[in-house]
Amino acid sequence: MHHVVLERWSRGASALHRRDPRAKLAALLVFLVVVATAHRALPALAAALLVLLSAAVVGAGIPLAGALGRAALVLPFTAVFGAACWLAGDPARGLALVLKSYLSALAVLLVVSTTSLPVLLRGLETAGAPRYLLMVAQFLYRYLFVISEEAQHMSKAAASRGATLRGLAARARFRAAAGALAVLFARSYGRAGDIHRAMLARSFPGHFLTLDALRFRRGDAVFLVLASLAPVAARAAVERFARWPA
Amino acid sequence: MHIPDGFLATPVWAALDVAAAPAAGYLARRAQRGFDEARVPLLGVMGAFVFAAQMINFPVGVGTSGHLVGGALLACALGPAAAGVTMCAILAIQALVFQDGGVLALGANIVNMAILGVFAGYLPFQLWGGGRWRRFAIFAAGTLSVLVSALAALAELLISGVKMPSAVLGMSLALFLVSALLEGAITLAVIEALEAIQPGFIGKPAAGRPFALRAAGLAAVLLAAVGVWFASTAPDGVQKLAERSGISQAAALFSTPLAGYQVAFAGSPWLRKAIAGLAGVALIYGVCLLIGRAARTRSV
Repeated sequence: MHHVVLERWSRGASALHRRDPRAKLAALLVFLVVVATAHRALPALAAALLVLLSAAVVGAGIPLAGALGRAALVLPFTAVFGAACWLAGDPARGLALVLKSYLSALAVLLVVSTTSLPVLLRGLETAGAPRYLLMVAQFLYRYLFVISEEAQHMSKAAASRGATLRGLAARARFRAAAGALAVLFARSYGRAGDIHRAMLARSFPGHFLTLDALRFRRGDAVFLVLASLAPVAARAAVERFARWPA
Repeated sequence: MHIPDGFLATPVWAALDVAAAPAAGYLARRAQRGFDEARVPLLGVMGAFVFAAQMINFPVGVGTSGHLVGGALLACALGPAAAGVTMCAILAIQALVFQDGGVLALGANIVNMAILGVFAGYLPFQLWGGGRWRRFAIFAAGTLSVLVSALAALAELLISGVKMPSAVLGMSLALFLVSALLEGAITLAVIEALEAIQPGFIGKPAAGRPFALRAAGLAAVLLAAVGVWFASTAPDGVQKLAERSGISQAAALFSTPLAGYQVAFAGSPWLRKAIAGLAGVALIYGVCLLIGRAARTRSV
């Protein structure tokens, strides 16, 4: 499954994996802003940035084809809007939508697949994001797979009892699905109480304790400067020299 | 509908990020203050539930099926602040892990779904959830939450200059309406099934606010939904209105240091815009951090 692959990638040991999450997030922000504000010579710029990102993906030891494929998850959605723009007589904007959203998704994927989610969220917390919100996000990520598996078990059990047969009226199937969801809701609610009691039994102090503090080293600063300059320089060069029409 | 990066114009995503950051912080504080720490695992697990609920399909008609979106269900079950925080966490995880929605567009998605969607879903429940109109209130909650967030997203896209032929636009509006009604039906069916398992599980809304205030709030939401609808079907009309009423001239009277997203000293125009944009983001970040510090020291 998608998230399991990300989890495996984020456990690598490349130089990019070892950088401080805050440096990576700041560089990501610069990259996204450079892409979002671009409007001239977009195909050439997109090619240059794609080469840049691909080099980083390969450098981080992540399979290139796999990463390019994952980022393509945005394409079905953007392709619809791109086609709509094209139909409305603005093919350049339609192309821009597809290129920009793909590049942005690939950049986010690069950061997330070189940083494990707990480290990433800790970086966000030291950067000032509300701790309560991040704790909720961390619990959500932790129990996402547990609850999803429970939902899969329930739908398999229902299917093996014949719930997918066509004989049932749509109304009855609707009510059966609502009942299943209600049971899942009540079980999740109950599970949350169990989790909290188990945490209290292990003396949970109200926030997560971490073993190693994040440290912003000189290497991180150098990385931040270089990684922020690269997309800016690429865009400056492309817009200066490209003879492409916008 | 999760907006990816690259769809929104810079002023749109920047403004919505600016709006969403303090709002998410406020929701987090509000949710934290209202409940004990037992709610932290609860909110996380209920967020996971919303993810998992998308695996259970509801038959709609000929060969198609829909699934729960969940904003209104969370709002009815947990209250608006906790539901908003949970939706924020869901959107953040979707943007980071599942490439569903952009990172720069996260503010827009939070405003659409975690703030407008959740509160539009909570209002009917707050108004009529305790009385004889309870079933209708829950249905309206689900419907409004999806309708308001979808219309807000569509309006943001159209303001950003994403063009759509009017046939496509009409079709997507019809699609939104159908999925909104479906969400209302699903929310109602799930809550009724829950109450059959555990009576009193979804409590009655907390009373206390004067009726006039709540009615005004609901009217505002309805007005916004209808207004956005008109605005989105005729975006040029809104621009014309702004020009005619002189809003566009009035805006030029106020001069700010980052007006027009440009800084005087940098070289090429786009570089100036980018630097000004980043400086603006840094400025807002600093202000939010300072406000957060001040609020924290005061509460301790």
